[in-house]
Amino acid sequence: METIIRKQMIIHPEVMDLLNSQIALEMHASASYLAMASWCDQRELVNSKAFFYKQAEEEREHAMKIFEFVNDNGGAAVSPEVHNINNDFDDLRSVYETSLEQEINVTQSIFKVFKKARKEDDFVTEIFLQWFVTEQAEEEDKFRSLIDIFDLMEGMPLKMIDERLPKE
Amino acid sequence: MKTFNNFTNTIQLHKTTFCRYTLVAPNKEVQLNFPQLLQLRQRINDLTQPFNLEEIIEKENFVLLFVADKQHLLYLDVTQLLDLKEEIICFFSSSKLVLI
Repeated sequence: METIIRKQMIIHPEVMDLLNSQIALEMHASASYLAMASWCDQRELVNSKAFFYKQAEEEREHAMKIFEFVNDNGGAAVSPEVHNINNDFDDLRSVYETSLEQEINVTQSIFKVFKKARKEDDFVTEIFLQWFVTEQAEEEDKFRSLIDIFDLMEGMPLKMIDERLPKE
Repeated sequence: MKTFNNFTNTIQLHKTTFCRYTLVAPNKEVQLNFPQLLQLRQRINDLTQPFNLEEIIEKENFVLLFVADKQHLLYLDVTQLLDLKEEIICFFSSSKLVLI
């Protein structure tokens, strides 16, 4: 990358913009998991509520990881606005299905930043994002396994299903 | 002082030292450090999003923009706003492309 501002920042400016969008997406995911945790908490679904509180924290940690990376490498991380959080769900299964969709969106977005970093020869960001690629594969797998439990326990009382779900 | 855009815009951006930059607007010159330059880039990118630009054109047709940690206030009409965006793009793009 040969730009006028190279001595000030190592990451590519357009990659930085995408990283800021990624921060917003991770924070949105965090807020969304918090809404899910609240929905479960109100219905005494104790394992699911613990799980989603933990997920909310994890997503925020991901956002902070990117946030600090941008600033540490000379860029400007932007604290995002978070809108449009859904607080209404049909049932517990739909909460987990929405979570999987959300994780897939986050994964696709990570891939987009990764591709851009590769295109712009921004090796620092590319290496940094490798951890996120692995993490997202694990997250998606986790939610697929949880949705499998719903299929296996179809017709069982909700409370019983919740007791079989992990807390984290 | 180095200029990086071959076209003459109403607003120009120059590198003065290693980490100091000068924004030359029609009525004033503003000294910027690098974080302030990044902040300006972020602000201009937001304002020139199609939806926001449309809103500016439909309403006042100008923007008032605080720069350099709110030490200066710039009045920019839409043409100047777009000029500044172009200037910033040149500044943040590959020098190989700009200096041909």
